[in-house]
Amino acid sequence: MENPVIQLNDVHFSWSSHVAEIININQLTIAQGEHLFIQGSSGSGKTTLLNILTGINKPNFGSVQVLDVELNNLSSTQLDQFRVDHLGVIFQQFNLLPYLTLLENVQLPCWFSDKRMSRIDDLHQTSVNLLQELQIPKNLFGKSVNTLSVGQQQRVAVARALIGSPEIIIADEPTSALDTENRLKFLELLFYEADQQKSTIIFVSHDPYLAKYFSRVVEMSDINQVDLI
Amino acid sequence: MKLFKLAAKSAWNRKTSLSLAMISIAISIFLLMGVDKIRKEAKNTFLNTISQTDLIVGARSGPINLLLYSVFRIGNATNNVSYASYQDIIKMKSVKWSVPISLGDSHRGFRVMGTTQDFFRHYQYADSQQLKFLSGSAFNHIYDAVIGYDVAHQLKYSLGKQIILSHGIVSTKFSEHDDKPFRIVGILKKTGTPVDRTIHVSLSGIEAIHIGWQSGSRSSLSISAEQTQESSLKPKSITAFMLGLERKIDTFRLQRKINQFNKEPLLAIVPGSTLANLWQMVGSFEKILMTISTLVLLSGLMGLLTTLLSTLNERRREMAVLRAVGAHPYHIMILFSLEALFVVSSGCFFGVLSLYLIQILIQPLITELYGLHLAINFLDSEQFVILIIAVFLSLLLSLIPGYIAYKQSLTDGLTVKF
Repeated sequence: MENPVIQLNDVHFSWSSHVAEIININQLTIAQGEHLFIQGSSGSGKTTLLNILTGINKPNFGSVQVLDVELNNLSSTQLDQFRVDHLGVIFQQFNLLPYLTLLENVQLPCWFSDKRMSRIDDLHQTSVNLLQELQIPKNLFGKSVNTLSVGQQQRVAVARALIGSPEIIIADEPTSALDTENRLKFLELLFYEADQQKSTIIFVSHDPYLAKYFSRVVEMSDINQVDLI
Repeated sequence: MKLFKLAAKSAWNRKTSLSLAMISIAISIFLLMGVDKIRKEAKNTFLNTISQTDLIVGARSGPINLLLYSVFRIGNATNNVSYASYQDIIKMKSVKWSVPISLGDSHRGFRVMGTTQDFFRHYQYADSQQLKFLSGSAFNHIYDAVIGYDVAHQLKYSLGKQIILSHGIVSTKFSEHDDKPFRIVGILKKTGTPVDRTIHVSLSGIEAIHIGWQSGSRSSLSISAEQTQESSLKPKSITAFMLGLERKIDTFRLQRKINQFNKEPLLAIVPGSTLANLWQMVGSFEKILMTISTLVLLSGLMGLLTTLLSTLNERRREMAVLRAVGAHPYHIMILFSLEALFVVSSGCFFGVLSLYLIQILIQPLITELYGLHLAINFLDSEQFVILIIAVFLSLLLSLIPGYIAYKQSLTDGLTVKF
């Protein structure tokens, strides 16, 4: 595979040596620019996998390489910095801080990452452009996020994940709070923006309906060799 | 800088609970600073009851006893000082001025002090302030009296009023010097010292009313006021006297000399240091007040801690978002510390501000009621230390919720779901 951004080799994870393993992945490679859909039911280890990819949890065994960096070799502070420099994250819901304006919420990662800041000429203009492309009404930009609908909030979260062009966008069930129509609209916008800045998308969901929109679909139970209880 | 903005906006978002915590801290700071101020003013006033007097001399007893009866008019002298010894001592060349004090009589509960006009010239209190007359002037004649502000105020006396002095402290019909009434010729301004509660007459006045008295009771032979004027009124003894020296440096030399005076046993004290000793004995209430105020401040800080802790759960999502956008766990701790810093420093600010406002408001009242000039000063170093300790304690306490949030954010990672 060309230009792999993520390579997992023989990764094992359990909370302690006494309990059963949650993750046992022999191999997983994700190429640059891919739209990867990881599908799995609740408890299949999706969230743990994301935590391993983002360096929140360290595997007990095995190698996790993200952008040619072995995460196991980084200290927790280095991991935090690596995460904000290279990853954009979108949650299921409540992505935004209620006490900041829309624009400030979008700009948050650049407050903590010089690297993402350096990829932007004009922070204000870039965040305005992103929000406009994501079809957020301009009169809301300076307002608190409490005035937004859930769909709008998730789109602002996309803008925040994308700002400063991180290499990888990680989305953890970002559409579960949206209705069908908004779901598709959300995906279209996410794909369009990610493609523009050549970011790789790793999208986790239990919803098989979404799978057909992705270039690559991975079933959690296919790659994770653990006995599910 | 960005963290500062974040902390400020986050705190503003929870302004109701935080401003309550802030108010409770402002009140406790106000209380602590107020008590500290009162304590210092009280001590200051006490230590400045008498100033510019280098030595007080009386019959040999204890230094505090001498100070109590000569300055505070509390208790009695064990013995008198002979007028001859007084004359000998004030002739010494290092003595610049002297004021004799003769005690033992009273008028309706107020002590009478026999002295000379030098008293009004040399007695100084507080910041070297001299006695000033509200009305009238110093005594000139034998039966003239000058009364302190409280005496005039409480007994509603005015100039020209005739008063009868009593022998001793307790007034009985038999011990009144009713044959020789005094006329009020002067009323002093408020000083905030025992002078306010004293009736001042001349030494010869004291002598005059005691002519014909033996062993504390009236003899059957009465001598009229007019006759007394004519007889010689040179006192045989006085109770104590105050000395001012030419050079301060001679104070201890003269003190030793008086303490070793051959003709009779005398005691000389340096009023400042004896006042300080006395304050140590009576001043323990200030420590109790300070302890209580400190506890109030601590409870205010605990209130802040409770507020911070109670919001931890609702802020869990906020912390997860911050972690997702790149905040390190130590950033989370700093956010809590900054928040505590905002609350406590604004609490300190408003506490100090209200202290000054109230001082400005009540200053005229205090001057009128207690004769105290409430000096409105900039915070002194001790008060600064109190403020710094309060801020420091709050930072220390904020580490508790900060650490819990830090731990939570580590286990929650980026995926809090609720």
